[in-house]
Amino acid sequence: MKAPNNTIRFCILTAAVLLTIAACKPEQTHYTPTPYELEQPSYFPSRNNIPTDNPMTKEGVELGRKLFYDSRLSGRDGTDGIRCCASCHHQENNFEFGAPTNTHHAMLPLVNLAWNRTGLGWNGGVATLEDMVLAAVTSSVEINADTNQVVKYLQKTDDYPELFWKAFGSRDITFINIERAIAQFVRSLVSSNSKFDRYLLGEEQLTEEELAGYELFCTEEGADCFHCHGGGGLALMTTNLFYNNGLDDEFNDPEDRAYITGSHWDRGAYKAPTLRNIAVSSPYMHDGRFTTLDEVINFYSEGVKDSENINPLMHHVMDGGVQLTDIEKAQLKAFLNTLTDEAFLNNPNYSDPNH
Amino acid sequence: MKKTQFIFMLLVAAALVSCKKPANYGDLTVNIDYSVNGKALITDSLCYCNEAGNEFLITEIQWFISKMELQDERGEWVSSEQKIFYIDTDITESQTLQIASIPVGRYKALRFVFGLDEEDNRTGLFTDPPESEMFWPDFLGGGYHYMKLNGKFLNAEGHLAPLAIHLGIGQNEDCTEFYQNYFIVELPIDFTIKENTVNQFDLTMVIDNWFRNPNLYDFNTFGSAIMQNQAAQQALKENGKDVFTTSTQTQQNPTAMKQENLSEIFKNTMQKAAPKPHFWTWENVKERFQGLRFKDLKFKI
Repeated sequence: MKAPNNTIRFCILTAAVLLTIAACKPEQTHYTPTPYELEQPSYFPSRNNIPTDNPMTKEGVELGRKLFYDSRLSGRDGTDGIRCCASCHHQENNFEFGAPTNTHHAMLPLVNLAWNRTGLGWNGGVATLEDMVLAAVTSSVEINADTNQVVKYLQKTDDYPELFWKAFGSRDITFINIERAIAQFVRSLVSSNSKFDRYLLGEEQLTEEELAGYELFCTEEGADCFHCHGGGGLALMTTNLFYNNGLDDEFNDPEDRAYITGSHWDRGAYKAPTLRNIAVSSPYMHDGRFTTLDEVINFYSEGVKDSENINPLMHHVMDGGVQLTDIEKAQLKAFLNTLTDEAFLNNPNYSDPNH
Repeated sequence: MKKTQFIFMLLVAAALVSCKKPANYGDLTVNIDYSVNGKALITDSLCYCNEAGNEFLITEIQWFISKMELQDERGEWVSSEQKIFYIDTDITESQTLQIASIPVGRYKALRFVFGLDEEDNRTGLFTDPPESEMFWPDFLGGGYHYMKLNGKFLNAEGHLAPLAIHLGIGQNEDCTEFYQNYFIVELPIDFTIKENTVNQFDLTMVIDNWFRNPNLYDFNTFGSAIMQNQAAQQALKENGKDVFTTSTQTQQNPTAMKQENLSEIFKNTMQKAAPKPHFWTWENVKERFQGLRFKDLKFKI
């Protein structure tokens, strides 16, 4: 009677061992990325610009983050000016360079771009974040790399082929997948936890000075900012549209919005940047001509120049600006400071993963 | 027996109800267009003059229509399923309002709310652009602009000044009282909705009428920054009553109209014939330069 029992036990044990071995197979054979849930504040737009051929995944975002901070993205390993995205896009500066700047132009911040719908760059000439990666990597004044060289270089590394497998199901690196990964990371950069956000949610009150500044921000008889830079009803703090705001009265820049649209009326027009984290986003304007918020406020108060190209929304141009008193300027600045999102600027999920 | 009879009658009644002929429906398309001084609107050309003698141009018009209804021959109002339409001169598809499932038959009147009434005009109603870009700050009453009509006009000093006809909720001086400035437009029509037919009519905004009747509207007084000026809002509200007309005639070919007017307009316009800048699309560039470096290409990022 014992022999059959032992046989059964042996069979069960063998089967269990085989199953265990199968379960412990060292190499993953199935590409199983984990969907990434983009943070979606209720008062942000419900429609984002995530392309159907580049859905966000945790693995894709992580890969993009690593590439964003990795100088090997330049495809070079010498000391000949190797660069990556983070060389110029600093988290503490709202993912732009900060002042004083030594980049060839002032940058737009990389923040809340998942909801941008009007092209990228000051003239909106780049359609998608994926395209922007190509533009930045290949630009002679940016990373200045050759895409084929970048792909070959990353392919030879120990770590990247496996990360591309996890993100895109292939160890063969392509530049398209490099574009996709970095675009996913940039889309994950969401700023929605400033004092102003908490005010909108009823969680924190603004001070009397900040509230006065917000009222100035949102009224035509005040600082008249809201048509282009939003407010409670447009919480991205920009329309993402293009305006000639009266910085100049002569226009010689061949790369302004008119370069894209061909319209004479778009001469001297540039994208209105988001004002989220504006206090740490110096320098200001498309050419970085102002380094402090005070200079910017002074410009809108009394430095606006008239031209036939100025946008009609610059209602007070005939007075040279909105003519704020010193107290009003301080109030407006106090409100702008409520748009600083320390949680975003210090978010460990957005920092350099290579250190 | 009585119970059986009752059940029988109930069954007959149910059968009669279920045999009632279902209403037939047709779809309606409302084509939005604009006229100034009897001609189709051409944007960005300084070629118009209002009743007060202000020369002006229009760059864009963005506005809301809501609660659109048609009145049938019996006097019943039939509502559009879509309650709010955003219309934008820069967004072609927004100029065509699609209204589905209108019962077939003859209709004698159209009415709608210009802008948004108290029921609809709530901050936060829209989170997505372009509608969200119409927001009207809470300090000024909240909700959304009913209309933004932007452009330029030649002011009394001969300078090209901003023109911004922005309509929405008005306020008293210290923003403690608010005034609803939307209004209801009712227009007679003679229009038949047919089944399986593309039924359409034109709804025209006669722009010059905003500025003439009953209030002479001078841009030198109320040209821009009128969101906090209830006198301007009230004048436009009163003038708005005869701004809209309907027509069931075939729409004119807009391209032909534009070309015809352009030749005439350029004789008088101040618009400078600036050389068209070099134009490129990102798709072209990307295709050409994939795998290469951007040596000579200029772009601003």
